[in-house]
Amino acid sequence: MKLYEFEGNDLLRREGMPVPDYALAATPEEARERAEALGLPVVVKAQVLTGGRWLAGGVQTAYSLEQVEEEARRILGLSIRGWPVQQVMITPKVDNVREFYLAVTIDEYHGTPVAVLSAAGGVSVNRIALERPEEVASRYVSVIKGLLPSEARRMCRGVGLRGAEVSRVANMLSALYRVFRNYDALIAEINPLARTSKGDYLALDAKVEIDDDSLYRHPELTLSLDSRIPNLLERKGREIGVTYVELDGDIAIVASGAGLGMASMDIISRRMRPANFLETGGAITAELMYNVMDLVLRKEGIRAVFINVYGGINPIHEGAKGVVRYMKEHQVTIPVMAKALGNHQEETWEIFRNNGVHVVNDVSTEKGVEQLALLLEGEK
Amino acid sequence: MSILLNRKTKVLVQGITGRIGRVQTKWMLDYGTNIVAGVTPGKGGQEVEGVPVYDTVAEAVAERGAEASVFFIPPKAFKEAARQTIDAGINLMVVITEHIPVHDVMEIREYASEREVRVIGPTTPGIITVGEAKMGIMPANMFSPGRIGVISRSGTLSYEISINLTTAGFGQSTVVGMGADSVVFASIPELLKLFERDSDTDLVVIIGEVGGVQEENAAQFIDRWMTKPVVTYIAGHNVPEGKRMGHAGAIIQGEHGMGIPQSKMAALREVGVDVAMYPAEVVELVKRHLTPS
Repeated sequence: MKLYEFEGNDLLRREGMPVPDYALAATPEEARERAEALGLPVVVKAQVLTGGRWLAGGVQTAYSLEQVEEEARRILGLSIRGWPVQQVMITPKVDNVREFYLAVTIDEYHGTPVAVLSAAGGVSVNRIALERPEEVASRYVSVIKGLLPSEARRMCRGVGLRGAEVSRVANMLSALYRVFRNYDALIAEINPLARTSKGDYLALDAKVEIDDDSLYRHPELTLSLDSRIPNLLERKGREIGVTYVELDGDIAIVASGAGLGMASMDIISRRMRPANFLETGGAITAELMYNVMDLVLRKEGIRAVFINVYGGINPIHEGAKGVVRYMKEHQVTIPVMAKALGNHQEETWEIFRNNGVHVVNDVSTEKGVEQLALLLEGEK
Repeated sequence: MSILLNRKTKVLVQGITGRIGRVQTKWMLDYGTNIVAGVTPGKGGQEVEGVPVYDTVAEAVAERGAEASVFFIPPKAFKEAARQTIDAGINLMVVITEHIPVHDVMEIREYASEREVRVIGPTTPGIITVGEAKMGIMPANMFSPGRIGVISRSGTLSYEISINLTTAGFGQSTVVGMGADSVVFASIPELLKLFERDSDTDLVVIIGEVGGVQEENAAQFIDRWMTKPVVTYIAGHNVPEGKRMGHAGAIIQGEHGMGIPQSKMAALREVGVDVAMYPAEVVELVKRHLTPS
């Protein structure tokens, strides 16, 4: 789950990291009031769960209260990469003399945390790493031992820091590592960490993403997950316990696994267009499949449903009962085609066949999709 | 010989008294797996399908000689159970459990690798050495004994491609589900190395998908070390950027589009791997190297 900038700031502050004061506003008038309380000049920043705010014009410095109101009105009207801006952060403008980039993330292939420090903050660290590698230090961290102070200091010296700056930035890196570990983060990034003209250090932008599978042990993060999914159907999928991704076609896909769902997409895309990706994981019941049918048919203009399921851990014969009950109750007339193999396959076929579902009589998804295409052409 | 598992391997089932543990224990026994014990804390002294249940892994190891363990336990219990299992001297763990916090996976990965314990998963269908034994949830009727090794990031696609191979007369030696999380315990190169050394395997099929760099690393390994032919299918040709496609690891992210299948296919093609565009095409590509039985 991605956090808004202000939520990330709060986590940094809890671990002892200095962050600027801020206030949130949902209207231009509110923005003006907040700016007045904080003192000018301020920066008005869109709060959205995506990067690219600068390029989209979602971050602006304002020097008068009129300008705050004006910029807040403009930014609150923006949509950044599909996310409508509903709140802005108002924060005092900081005079920074130097910027750093700090991150702790996961090297997925090696399965270990990695700490990254760059003496050139504010811009894309990937680009810096390519163009000026001497300004970037990265280091694998033992997740059991944690980031040792000596390791953090070595990273600082590695990017050319000297004197008091070494221990100041090293402390920031250690605090960021604590955020990463204590809140089960997938990434904790500060870009930039600023050294101000007064010699203070301030984290000016926080990007934190928390592992969804760990939320049960973070009651302190009273965050609602559902409001962070902008697509209605995708949110509904989450509610019923499946992964749904909306696509722009008209053939609905229901698969019992992610790989099978993606393969179904690949194959259907050859001659038709998938309406969605949906995978149930290992939790199929009659009720779940009833809800799944309800979900995929909510999208307008669906021409057919292609069901692709395996009975490994899933009781697919139970799932079949839910599908046909939905079809009966809602008088589904578009073609529903099912490929079902594995444990209880014969029983599943029988339930489907007796209730108007076309059963694929082949072991390959390609053949099933071919049969579906012929069926749809025949109907024209 | 096959890899990782055979009919003699003494298997322990953790979470054997749960709803899924019970059903899957029966199916693993039916397949011929040598299950010697089960563990559920607080349920010691019971039996499931004739298998004795113990409170701790240490007891199961001491009294029944268990050497490999398959996990059907809730994600919250995983970390402590895994430490206990490693400390008890088990040398292969297969973690079926889904939704384990990734920080717990990283901790156990480090703990296990320091002690040289091999772990497969999490979020895996498990391992089947066809005709001998299985540690996992895969439906047995998809497989037939033969000489193709299969490594898959997806459970359901390992079934799909195996049943297609089976139907065409190509059996499998061992089929391994890698696990579908963003961080998994084993890597594709590690498993390729085992198949390369296995005298019962003539060809390896890799079933990859969008996300991560497993396939790219596999390509490097193949280039340097593999003498046996490799065939692959990578799922998710046109998935939208930034969406997790059901698996935590199946996501294209960042400005460089890390994880896109086209770069995986290109890397593998470059080192001589036959790349199928669709799952059943794997069978056609296998025919270039082997004759069906």
